[in-house]
Amino acid sequence: MKYLFVATCVILVLLSVGTLLSFPNARTEVPVLYWVTDPNPAREEQVAIFHRWLINSGYGEEVVLRTTEDVAAFRGRNWTPAMREAIETAEANGDAGRLWAAPPGEGALPITVRAPLYELRVDSANRDVSKMVIQGVSGVGGDIMDINSGSGMRYFHSVGLLRDVTEAGKRLGFDPTQTFAAMEPELTLDGRQYGFPCNVALGMFWVNRATLKKFGQPMPPERWTFEEFERLGKAFVEAANPPGERQTVFYASSGHLEVMYRSLGLSMFNESLTRCALDDERFLRCIKLLYKWTYEDHILPSSAERDSFDTQSGYGGAVLQLFNRGNYALFPMGRYALIQLRKFGPLDVGVVELPHGGFPNAFTTTRAAAVYVGGDRQELAEYFLGYLASEDYNMQIVRDADALTPNPRYAETEEFLRPEDYPNEWGAHEAFIRAENTIAIGGAYSPYVLHSVAGRLTRDAVDGFMNDRLTAEEATAQAAFRVNAEIRRTLEENPGLRAQYAEDEALQEQIEESRRAGRPVPVSWIGNPFHRRYYLWKGWAYDDANGRGEAPGVAPE
Amino acid sequence: MGVKSKQARNLATGLAFLAPNIVGVLVFTVLPVLFSIMLAFSNWDLRRHNMFKDEALDFVGFDNFVRLVTEADFLRFLGNTLFLMMGIPFAIAGALCSALLLSKDLRAGGGRPYIWLLASAGLIVSTVLLVVSGMGGTGMVILLSGLACGVLVAGVAGGTTVYRTLFYTPHFTAGVATFLLWKKLYDPYEGPINTGLAPVLNHVSDGVNALPPVLTRSASWLCLALAALLFLWALRRLRLSWVDGDLGWAAGLVPVALLCVPGAVAQIWHHTAGRALWLGAAVAIAAAWQGARVAARGKDFDSSAMNGIGSGLVVATAAMVGQFVLVGLSALLYALPELAADGLEPPRWIHEYHWAKPSIMIMGLWGAIGSNNMLLYLAALTNVPQELYEAADIDGAGRFQRFWNVTWPQLAPTTFFITVMSMIGGLQGGFEMARTMTKGGPAGATTTLSYFIYLEGFETGRLSFASAVAWALFILVFSVTLFNWKFGNRYVND
Repeated sequence: MKYLFVATCVILVLLSVGTLLSFPNARTEVPVLYWVTDPNPAREEQVAIFHRWLINSGYGEEVVLRTTEDVAAFRGRNWTPAMREAIETAEANGDAGRLWAAPPGEGALPITVRAPLYELRVDSANRDVSKMVIQGVSGVGGDIMDINSGSGMRYFHSVGLLRDVTEAGKRLGFDPTQTFAAMEPELTLDGRQYGFPCNVALGMFWVNRATLKKFGQPMPPERWTFEEFERLGKAFVEAANPPGERQTVFYASSGHLEVMYRSLGLSMFNESLTRCALDDERFLRCIKLLYKWTYEDHILPSSAERDSFDTQSGYGGAVLQLFNRGNYALFPMGRYALIQLRKFGPLDVGVVELPHGGFPNAFTTTRAAAVYVGGDRQELAEYFLGYLASEDYNMQIVRDADALTPNPRYAETEEFLRPEDYPNEWGAHEAFIRAENTIAIGGAYSPYVLHSVAGRLTRDAVDGFMNDRLTAEEATAQAAFRVNAEIRRTLEENPGLRAQYAEDEALQEQIEESRRAGRPVPVSWIGNPFHRRYYLWKGWAYDDANGRGEAPGVAPE
Repeated sequence: MGVKSKQARNLATGLAFLAPNIVGVLVFTVLPVLFSIMLAFSNWDLRRHNMFKDEALDFVGFDNFVRLVTEADFLRFLGNTLFLMMGIPFAIAGALCSALLLSKDLRAGGGRPYIWLLASAGLIVSTVLLVVSGMGGTGMVILLSGLACGVLVAGVAGGTTVYRTLFYTPHFTAGVATFLLWKKLYDPYEGPINTGLAPVLNHVSDGVNALPPVLTRSASWLCLALAALLFLWALRRLRLSWVDGDLGWAAGLVPVALLCVPGAVAQIWHHTAGRALWLGAAVAIAAAWQGARVAARGKDFDSSAMNGIGSGLVVATAAMVGQFVLVGLSALLYALPELAADGLEPPRWIHEYHWAKPSIMIMGLWGAIGSNNMLLYLAALTNVPQELYEAADIDGAGRFQRFWNVTWPQLAPTTFFITVMSMIGGLQGGFEMARTMTKGGPAGATTTLSYFIYLEGFETGRLSFASAVAWALFILVFSVTLFNWKFGNRYVND
C-alpha cells in the first residue's frame, strides 16, 4: 500500500511540475505585468500598441547586434509571441526589428534592436469589484486595475489599494491637466491623483432620426427642457403606437434621475458632502416626473418592459438593437455606443443633451486605470498611465469610438470629429465634446458613505415609489434618512473621520449662513463638485485663489 | 513489540492517506470558521484593517450582534427569508406527490395501446383548442403544450424511468441557468406564463364583470369564514390532544400562538383591515369556547409540559398556512370586481414588489418537486412493508386511508429529515436567485440574509458585521435544527 501511496505522490508532483511548465510563457525575458480590465476585444490591440509605444518612447532595452551569432543569441532568448511582435513592428526598430521574418545578413550588421521594458497581459477574469478588492488586500492584485468612476476610486483608495501617482503623472505626462477638467473628482482625492482615464464617458441622448422621420416627428433641439421632452415624447408615442395594441415603441429607453435633479440645482449631497440632501421638493418633483413619463405618458418603458426587451447582448444590453429597430427613438449613452451602432450599418443618428429643468448639465465619468499599491513593479506600471495620455493610445480610441479620448487634444482632430468612413456620425462627435467641455460634471462622492451603498439605498426608495409601495414623499424621506443613517454609522465605526466631519459641518454652516445673508462664498469651501459649478453659475460663489480645479465654461446658457 | 510496531506503521500509512483531506478540511473549513467567530466580535472593516493599513483591530464584544437587533435591514431581510420559507411545506408536499406518482408503473404495455392514442389525441386537440381560443398566436405556447404532450407520450412509452429522469432534471441543471430560464418565463410581456395567462384572465374578467358584485363579495366573506373554521378545527384538535395527554400545556402554547398569527395579520393588512374584525371576533369566540371546554372538562391523561410539541407544530403550521391562503383569497375576491372592471392584468412577477417573493417561491417549488427530496421519498416508499398494505386491504381501507394510515406514518422519518434539511436550506438560501434574477429588488423584496451577508461583506467591506450576520444565521439554523431533533424526533418515533 505504501508503495502505491508513494507512487501516487510522485506522479502527482510530476504532473504538477509538468502543468507549471506548460503554462503559456512561464519563462519570459522581461517582467510581466497584469492589467485587470474588461474582456473587450480592443484590449488586445491596445496592449500591442502599448508594447510598441514602450519601444518607440525609449522605455526598454537597446541591444547592438554585431555578428550573426549575436542575432541568433538575441532570437534565442525567451521572447513571447507578444514581445516578438512588438520588436518586429515598432517604428523605432524599423527593418532591424524583423529578426524573425527577415534575419539580417552579415553585411547588414551591426544593427540596433530595442525591446519593451516589460510585457503587459490582460486579465479579464478578475474584473469583478469584490474579486479585485479581496485579491488586493491579500497582496495578489493585478498590477494595473481598471476602476469605474470616482466612486470606485474612492472605495479602492479607502481600502488602501491605490498608489499615489501624482508625482509620476507630472513626470510621465499624465497629470490631471492632460485630461478633461470635469474628470477632477473622478481621478483625484484631497489634491492627490490616483489614476488616469482609459476613456471618458458622457451620457447624452442618441437620436435615431430615421425613426422620428418614419412617424413624422421633429428632431429634438440640442438643449431642451422637461416640458419640451414631455410634449415631444407624448406626440411621438401617440404617432408610433396604433391604438388598442400593446405599446412597443417608446420615445426614450430611460431617463437619468441624477441629471434631472441636478438640473434643478440639487445634488445627492450638500455642499460639504456631510449629509444627504435628497429629502427635497426637487427630488420629489423628479421622481414624480419619472413615474408620470413611465406609467401615465408611456414615454419611457417600465423596468418590466425594459427587461422584457432585454436580451443582454453586448454593451448596453438590447437597447442598441431596439434603437436600431426603431423601438426607441432616443437612448442615453456615451460615445462608446458607436462600437455597436457601427455594426448596424450607417444609421442616421444625432446627439442631444438630456432634458433639463433650468440648469443644463451632463453626467461624466470614466473607466480609469490605477496602479496597485501591492504590486512588485509599481514604477513600471506607471508607464502604462503615461501611455493612456499618449497619441498612440488616444488615436486608437478615436478609431474605435470607445467613448471620448482621455486626452482632449485628440478629440479635436479631424479623425475624431469627422471620421472619413462614417459621415452619418458627423455632428455627433462635436456634440459630445462640446458638452464635455461646458456642461459635464463628475459625481458627488461623500467621504462618509460609500457611493455604491448610497446609490443602492436611494434606488430601493425610488423602486418603492415606482412599485406603488411608498408615496413620493415617503420615498424621498426614506432615501435621505437611510443614507444619513449610513453616514452616522460610518462616523461611529471610524473615529478617525470625526474631526474632518466636524470641520466640514462647520464649513457647511458657514456656507448656509452666507447663503442666508446673500453673500457669495469662496468656491474652495465647497467640496461637492456639482455645487461648485452650480454656485459659480448662480453667482453665489467666487473663484478664490485656492479654489479647486474647475471645468471651463462655468455657466451653461 | 512487533505487533505494536506494525500497528503504528499501519496507523501512519492510514494517516498519510487521510492527510490531504484532513489538511484540506482544517485549512479551508475549520480555520475559516474559527476565524469568522473572531471576526464577528471585532470591528474588522476591509477599509481600515488590511495589509496596507496600520489601524489596530479592536475587540468590540457583542456590538455587532446588538446592531443586528437594531438594524432595520437585518430584520427586514430575515422577514424576507422567513416568507420565502413558507413555501417549504408546499415543496415537501410536491416532492411527496411526485414520488408517489413516480412509484407507479405507467408504461403502456401491450394491453394498453389506447394510452398512446389518448396521448396523441390530447396533443392534437389541445393545440387546436389553444389556437381556437386565441392562445395559439404565440409559438411558445404551442411549443410548451407540445412539449408537455411529448413528455406524456415518452413517459407512456418509456415508463417511470423517463418521468423520474425528467422530474430530476431541475436538480442537476446548473442553478444560474435555471434562474435565467425562469427570468425569461416570468417576462411580463413576452414570457410564456403571461402569454398563456393573459387570455385566461380576459375571460375571467369578462365572467366577473357579468356576475353581480355581491357574489364575489360573498365568496370573499366565505373565505374568511373558512379561515375561522380552520382555526377552530386546529384549536379543537390541539385541545383533544391535550385532553388525551398527547400534548403538554407548554407545548401547546407555541402552536396556539402560531394559529393566531393570520387573524392578527389580517387586522393590520390594509386589504383586509376592517372586514377582518369579523374574523378576529370569530377567532376570539372559538378560542373562548375551546378555552371554556378545557377549563370545564380538564385532562383525561397526564403528560409532561413539552410533550407532543412536534405534532402540535405540524397541525398549527399547516392550519396557519391554510388560513393565510384563505385570507389572501378573501382579499383578492373582495377586490376582484374593481380589478376586473378595467380587465385583469397578469402580474409582473419579479418586477413587482408584491409578486417578487411569491415568484421566487413558485420557482423554488418547481425545483423542489424534482429534487433530492423526491428521491428520498421514492427510496422510503420502497421500504414500506407490503404486509401493512395487505393488512389495510383486509380491513377494507380505501386509497386515501391506505395512504393516511400506512404510507404517511411510515414516511415520517424521511419527512422529518427532509423538513430539517429544507429549513436549513431555506434559511441559508436565496443568494444565487437574488444575485442573478433580481439583484435583491424590487425595493429589497427579494434580498435574503445570505445576500445581505454578501452586500455587507463585499459591497461595504464590513467583514465583522457580515460575520455577525452569518453567525446569527447559524444560531437560527442550529436552534431550529435542535428544536426539530428534540421534539420532532419524538414525534417521528411515536
